Amino acid sequence: MVRSAAELFAGRAYDGVSIDDLVTHLGLHRNSLYKTFGSKRGLYLAALRWSLEHDVAPLIDRVSRAAGPGEGLREALSPPGGGAGLDLLLLAAVERAPVDAEVAELVTRTLDALDAATGVPDGTGDPGDPGDPDGGPGALAVALTSAVLGLRIRARAGAPGADAGRACEALGRRLATR
Amino acid sequence: MAQINVDGGRLIVEITGMNRVWALKKRLDIPLAHVRGATADPGIVMEPKGIRAPGTHFPRFITSGTFYKDGERVFWDVRDSSKAVVIELAGERYARLVVQVADPRATVALIERAQLVS
Repeated sequence: MVRSAAELFAGRAYDGVSIDDLVTHLGLHRNSLYKTFGSKRGLYLAALRWSLEHDVAPLIDRVSRAAGPGEGLREALSPPGGGAGLDLLLLAAVERAPVDAEVAELVTRTLDALDAATGVPDGTGDPGDPGDPDGGPGALAVALTSAVLGLRIRARAGAPGADAGRACEALGRRLATR
Repeated sequence: MAQINVDGGRLIVEITGMNRVWALKKRLDIPLAHVRGATADPGIVMEPKGIRAPGTHFPRFITSGTFYKDGERVFWDVRDSSKAVVIELAGERYARLVVQVADPRATVALIERAQLVS
């Protein structure tokens, strides 16, 4: 049931999912929904936690075991989970995290884990040090995580030229030669 | 129509105008710790209400008062379904409140913010 809710929330904006949609899609009685989750937000949080644990955590694990940044990017965007598994995280980051502290904490913790999984060594200088080409501690890992999310956005939008495989290879080659 | 405020860790629900008469209730005062959540839910008015005791129910016109369904006591005060908000409770006389408010989105945000800081 929570998995079905996660799929629904991953496909539409939070405000675009009504209780009628949830009742119909999940085959659940309205009273049971309120009794079990307390509110639409309660169900949303359960769905987000489910998606982070079952879709995103395995993806982070695959990224951490990848041979290098380029392969890590490919792993993040390849099935299973890599593509659509990121959608609820993306929507949560954009529309719910700015207005819901609990969602913001879950999103931040997950993005931090993805940063760490990229395995990119920290830069050597202080943050903002112009002498450090990697932009200081953590900057390159944040950039890689952002690339993963950006490529997923382009793929979901069906944007022309959104060949994630080629983009990952190009970025991987650049990072290997730095 | 209900006016909803948060004051000192308590959720105050005031029934306004003639609805006090239909609902036979003026005010509900609930500890925030007993509030499980709030949801804007226009579709809930289409659900069976159960047994009315006491209150007023003219289908598609007004649902106001106490209703019993599936062993639960639910307080209703709704005339305009598009403005219905469901407030789920725990450890209270009512299992949930279904009330009409002026701005459902703002009311839900008010309750959710209050829950996060309480």
